[in-house]
Amino acid sequence: MSDQTKSWLDSRLPLAACFRAQVCDKPLPANRPYLSALGTLITGTLIFLMLSGAVLSAYYVASDHGAYNSIQFIMRNVNDGWLIRSFHATGTTMLFAAVYLAIFHALITGAYRLPGELVWGLKLAFLLLMMLVGYLGYAMQDGAVSHWSLHDVTLAGAGLSSFPGNISNWVLGGPAGHGTLGHVAMMHGLLTFIALGVLVLHYYAKQAVAPVAKKTVPLHPYYTSHHFVAVSVYVLLFAVLVFFAPHLGENPLNAAPANPLLVPAVMTPPWYLLPAAAVTHALPGTEGGIVAFFAAFAVLFAMPWLDRSDPRSEPGFLYKLLVVILGLDVIALGMTAAAGPSTINAILMIIFIGWYFLHFLVLTPLVTARESK
Amino acid sequence: MKLGISAAALLAAFLAFGSAAYAEDTLSPLHWQSQGTFGSYDQAALQRGFLVYQTACASCHSANALHYRDLTALGLTTEQVADITASIKLDNRPATLDDRLISALPKSQAAAAFGGAVPPDLSNIVAARPKGTEYIYNLLTGYQAPPADVTLMAKHYYNAAYPGNQIAMPAPLTDNAVTYADGTKATTAQEASDVAAFLTWASDPNLDARKQIGLRAVIFLIFLTLLAIATKRKIWRDVA
Amino acid sequence: MANAAAHAVEDGVEAPAKRDFLKILTVSAGAVALGATAWPFIDALNPTTAELAVSNPIIEVGGIAPNTGLRVMWLGQPIYIRKLTPQQIADNQAVVPSSLPDPADYTDRVKPGYESFVVVVGLNTGISCELLGNSPTDPRGPLDGWTCPCDGSIYDPLGRVRSGPAPKNLAIPRFTFLNATQIQLG
Ligand code: HEC
Repeated sequence: MSDQTKSWLDSRLPLAACFRAQVCDKPLPANRPYLSALGTLITGTLIFLMLSGAVLSAYYVASDHGAYNSIQFIMRNVNDGWLIRSFHATGTTMLFAAVYLAIFHALITGAYRLPGELVWGLKLAFLLLMMLVGYLGYAMQDGAVSHWSLHDVTLAGAGLSSFPGNISNWVLGGPAGHGTLGHVAMMHGLLTFIALGVLVLHYYAKQAVAPVAKKTVPLHPYYTSHHFVAVSVYVLLFAVLVFFAPHLGENPLNAAPANPLLVPAVMTPPWYLLPAAAVTHALPGTEGGIVAFFAAFAVLFAMPWLDRSDPRSEPGFLYKLLVVILGLDVIALGMTAAAGPSTINAILMIIFIGWYFLHFLVLTPLVTARESK
Repeated sequence: MKLGISAAALLAAFLAFGSAAYAEDTLSPLHWQSQGTFGSYDQAALQRGFLVYQTACASCHSANALHYRDLTALGLTTEQVADITASIKLDNRPATLDDRLISALPKSQAAAAFGGAVPPDLSNIVAARPKGTEYIYNLLTGYQAPPADVTLMAKHYYNAAYPGNQIAMPAPLTDNAVTYADGTKATTAQEASDVAAFLTWASDPNLDARKQIGLRAVIFLIFLTLLAIATKRKIWRDVA
Repeated sequence: MANAAAHAVEDGVEAPAKRDFLKILTVSAGAVALGATAWPFIDALNPTTAELAVSNPIIEVGGIAPNTGLRVMWLGQPIYIRKLTPQQIADNQAVVPSSLPDPADYTDRVKPGYESFVVVVGLNTGISCELLGNSPTDPRGPLDGWTCPCDGSIYDPLGRVRSGPAPKNLAIPRFTFLNATQIQLG
């Protein structure tokens, strides 16, 4: 572009100048850790999932008879179809790993405290949406396990049909379930776009409450090169999983087609839903499961108010230790869900869930109040 | 940076060595070449395994997701596959390259023959069982006389590998059930190992391509990461 | 830029040439990675193996006796393959193209070297009915070609329209002769 056209364009449509001012020259604190790239990584992965999902949807058939076979077709007959599906499955794994890490990081640094409560809430909303999207995607495979899991959820949904306007019918397509997979596929895609919107809100909310830094550097080239390192390492890890562990964290039994006459003994979901699955088994009945699941999220949403410390203070040692223990507790909880039903498991599950609520409702208020004195 | 490059070179050498460590599927020790991180399929074993499948399994089991034309991936030429299909009869006509690997036994008859147990489609069976390849081998070699305290259900056989130990499938393999063209001795164990290799391929036909592309991608990305680190450090050098 | 003054560090401290080389290398390696990742997305939209297997079928025509035909379905359309008798060839070579509703020479309707084979889409070019006349027992009309059961249009054995509401000669699908006994469609 000649200088003349450039200045003409700049005077009529000052995109480049705007981009330079808003993005390239944006002042950022000079001491951000590599973890600050998590937002970039999560947004990038979500967009990557949308693109691979779009290609998969060209071949996926959302019907009782078509779903499983269409995935086999993608894996065997579509050019590089196995790679695109592996991108999509592994991308989900990477996304959840990054989101769980971001939540853990916000917890251990106390970032959820005022004035960060909205940023924190949007993070949790994103996790909640991704769990729904992840579950729906899992159900879309219509394998020997996910078929029956969806069946149970459909029944639970039928129980909720007293909601105004028959919400469950809109979601599940009616009691016989013939239209269910079509509805599931639609929600899977739609919620992804809503999740992207939540990410945008999260970005601006975070800007609004970012502390003023003493020393800043412009975004470009400092944070472009900085995040490029984070992205390269992340993509390297991503590639190792795509090519050498494409089925990481999946239940192999779900690779078989659904058998309408055979309910699997253990309905283990993919790894990123394991803790949530354990929580839904905590209270009896499907309605009980839904209540327990939302209670587990409610205490997370309440964190800014359960924490009694001064928001400007550094979180204390004991508090941080408790957050690490909470992380281990959630992992252990997921493992009990993977191991399947047994008496010991049921007891362990209750203990781990009990600790989870104890952490939020009792330990956090006590410890933070004491440590900030 | 220098350290990084030599580390990458070392890794590459290790990878090359790792993939060359086993040249074929072996019975003792029981090993499938495709199982190593960088291992590829042993095509001779796959061809033997297809012969076992066709001779000893196809009468009851289908492998619906496969077409005969896919068998060229076992190292057979299109002409060789055409010779094979010409000898396979479907509804009074010879099979063609575009036919699927269906079973000779219709589903309804199968259920009746085995007391309600339907022989599952085998296209994806290895992916659909934990440690699938070993499981197939153990299942096919796991038929035993039942222990004294076990009463078998009607039309069931005792199998050490099957969950619950009572399976409706009669032992499908015997010594010399097939004659291998390459002179390999057709013991039951050999047949089981070969058909396990074939079914592993059927479940994951892209394994070879996946690992080949993956190796190149990972080495390139290590290189990219080192470059990114070097660039970042250079740019940030002045920020105290 | 109001904020620029606040930046602790400004650009251009480094000797430009050296820094540029590393930067160019890094950015181009990144671009290669991006391009290599984009390719499978595009490739996945190319025709699948199953698609290719049905879109270019090879058809045996060696067994067609003179004055009989073959009907194959291809991409949802009936394809008629007819072998002409020497008499039919001679009769139709004698026709003057300009006397026809849709003028076409004999050589326009067949492949050089395989003049006895006519390959057409068996759909009337007026209202789109499937034509009769592929088997010798069908009504073939006065010219021994094809007739339309819906509007009465009449075609000669080369698929040229001779009378009736139909305005055009029968469409000729894309095909090639692999040898004297096999053609490949598409
Ligand atoms: C005589 C018919 C018959 C033949 C031949 C046969 N099978 Fe089976 N197979 C069955 C039946 C019936 C079942 C279902 C068993 C059940 O549900 O108890 C079965 C089940 C299986 C299973 C599933 C086990 C599981 O974990 O659910 C595998 C794997 C299998 N067969 C492999 C083979 C292989 C490999 C061969 C060839 C070497 C073979 N079968 C030959 C009838 C047969």
